[in-house]
Amino acid sequence: MTANPAPSITIDGLTLAYPGKTVLDTVTLAIPRGKITVLAGPNGCGKSTLLRAIRRLHRPAAGRVLLEDIDVADLSEKALARHIGLLAQNPSAPEDMTVEELVRLGRYPHQTMLQRWDAQDTRALEAAMAGTGVASLRDRPLGSLSGGQVQRVWIAMVLAQETEIVCLDEPVNHLDLAHQLDCLDLVRQLNAEFGRTIVLVLHDLNLAARYADQLVFMRDGGVAACGTPDALMTQDLIARVFNVDAMIITDPAYGRPLCLPLRTC
Amino acid sequence: MTAPRARSARQSFAVIIAGLAALLVAAMLVSATVGYRLYGLDQLYQAIFAFDGSEAATVLVNLRLPRAILAPMVGAGLGVAGVLVQTLSRNRIASPDTLGLNAGASLAVVLASATLGITSLTGLSLVAALGALLTSMLVFAIAAGAGGISPIRIVLIGVTIAGLGQSVVQLILTSNEAQMQNLLFWLAGSFVDRPMALAINGLPFIAAGGAIAFALVRPLDALQADDATAVSLGVPVSLVRIGCFLAISLLSGAAVAMAGPVSFVGLVVPHAARRLAGLRHGPLMLAAALIGAIYTTLADVLARFVIYPVEAPVGAVTAVVGGLVLVLLLRGRAA
Repeated sequence: MTANPAPSITIDGLTLAYPGKTVLDTVTLAIPRGKITVLAGPNGCGKSTLLRAIRRLHRPAAGRVLLEDIDVADLSEKALARHIGLLAQNPSAPEDMTVEELVRLGRYPHQTMLQRWDAQDTRALEAAMAGTGVASLRDRPLGSLSGGQVQRVWIAMVLAQETEIVCLDEPVNHLDLAHQLDCLDLVRQLNAEFGRTIVLVLHDLNLAARYADQLVFMRDGGVAACGTPDALMTQDLIARVFNVDAMIITDPAYGRPLCLPLRTC
Repeated sequence: MTAPRARSARQSFAVIIAGLAALLVAAMLVSATVGYRLYGLDQLYQAIFAFDGSEAATVLVNLRLPRAILAPMVGAGLGVAGVLVQTLSRNRIASPDTLGLNAGASLAVVLASATLGITSLTGLSLVAALGALLTSMLVFAIAAGAGGISPIRIVLIGVTIAGLGQSVVQLILTSNEAQMQNLLFWLAGSFVDRPMALAINGLPFIAAGGAIAFALVRPLDALQADDATAVSLGVPVSLVRIGCFLAISLLSGAAVAMAGPVSFVGLVVPHAARRLAGLRHGPLMLAAALIGAIYTTLADVLARFVIYPVEAPVGAVTAVVGGLVLVLLLRGRAA
């Protein structure tokens, strides 16, 4: 698994349970390489759990997550962290930490006790800050930034990690409309320019349809449907997955399906 | 393109560290020569390198020198331990006191003195170290026992154990006032009449704690972020917390054995160090060690004069000065 292997994730019969509750029930799903996959579904459907299980933050009761043909359970912490990056939901860091100090953390899995910070680390740090447009903020403490800026800095940190796969758990939560678009455009840019495979959990169905190459609807711990936004955004499926009667129209600007929710059903 | 910038930042940090080191040496010289009696640097030099048995030389070598060496060791240990506790608990108002280590040491000393009649300084310091160690094991066992070592649990359990220890100490002290009178001074922390052997015995523990702390520099940087982020960066979070706990126990245990419970150093010093060194633990802990050493050494000098000609307990001085410094630092931050 060295020089730019073809990364894609295969989730194979993954089951995850807490005592008395099955959170994921034999989920089988393929994450295509170099694409944006969006996990969507109602509250408690297991989409965040699935994302965290892909990154091995949860140990499955059964099933596997395969990175290419390697079971992620067999990888060391650092090796895994060099392949899959995760931007957690509501991540936190000290308010007086500077932008550069936070983005530097992304280099952690690339260093060892003996091999400390080197030119490659500096290159990745600078590229991540430049690519996300936060280089000019480098000495600013996080507490002095706007919510949108802070989210860009976190994305820069994950970018500096230089993983083929980037998972983002509801990255636009708590952001206003402009910053939501800003943040997701940035994610798409990571996908297009840096060739990263993206797995994204999104709450907003219309944002999901707009940014996804592959859309995954989840319900009750399982995959309800998986396909292109055009294939999935149907009145029937949305009623079945979200319990909402909706009208599906084509958005006039981007030609993507747009869901107009009418009433619960 | 940022190489020059990085270099200049590193250079200015090197200047800060060199300045602090010089300040420390100066503070240690002051501590050795200034007090109830004033000595010259020439007398100090003579006492160390050409001991002639004179009264001045005896006082310098047996009384002054040990505290000029013990105080910075204790201060450096507490400064680093303070950074570790604050990162471990993700809480900037936590300190080794918060984990109950000083309370545990005090309780052990009071108990040993009341039941076993231990009064010798060496005996008490050993008991204190044991008390701190046992307390840290207790806090760790409870914190790790139910559902993982979470930062908030560490603080809650530490504060609870500290409160418990303190109240038992008070109970024994008040019920046994006459006998415990001689312990009161120990309980406030002091460097008076400490033999050099204490420094020699304490050194390996301070060194081991420091070595563990500096080995954990990079995972500690990452642990400033939330657990999910730290784990996804590849940090072995539980292992780092265990190592952190061990280092804190070694450093605080050695400190309390050498000086008794000296409060506020571990709380204030990390704040000052962050001002100078930022949030990366390598520079931060180096700065904290030096600032802690300087602060404690100067507090020990000050303790000789605040209620002159009697010596004040150094713990009282570090607390009063530290409280004022902390208020100033926090005010500066808000402004």
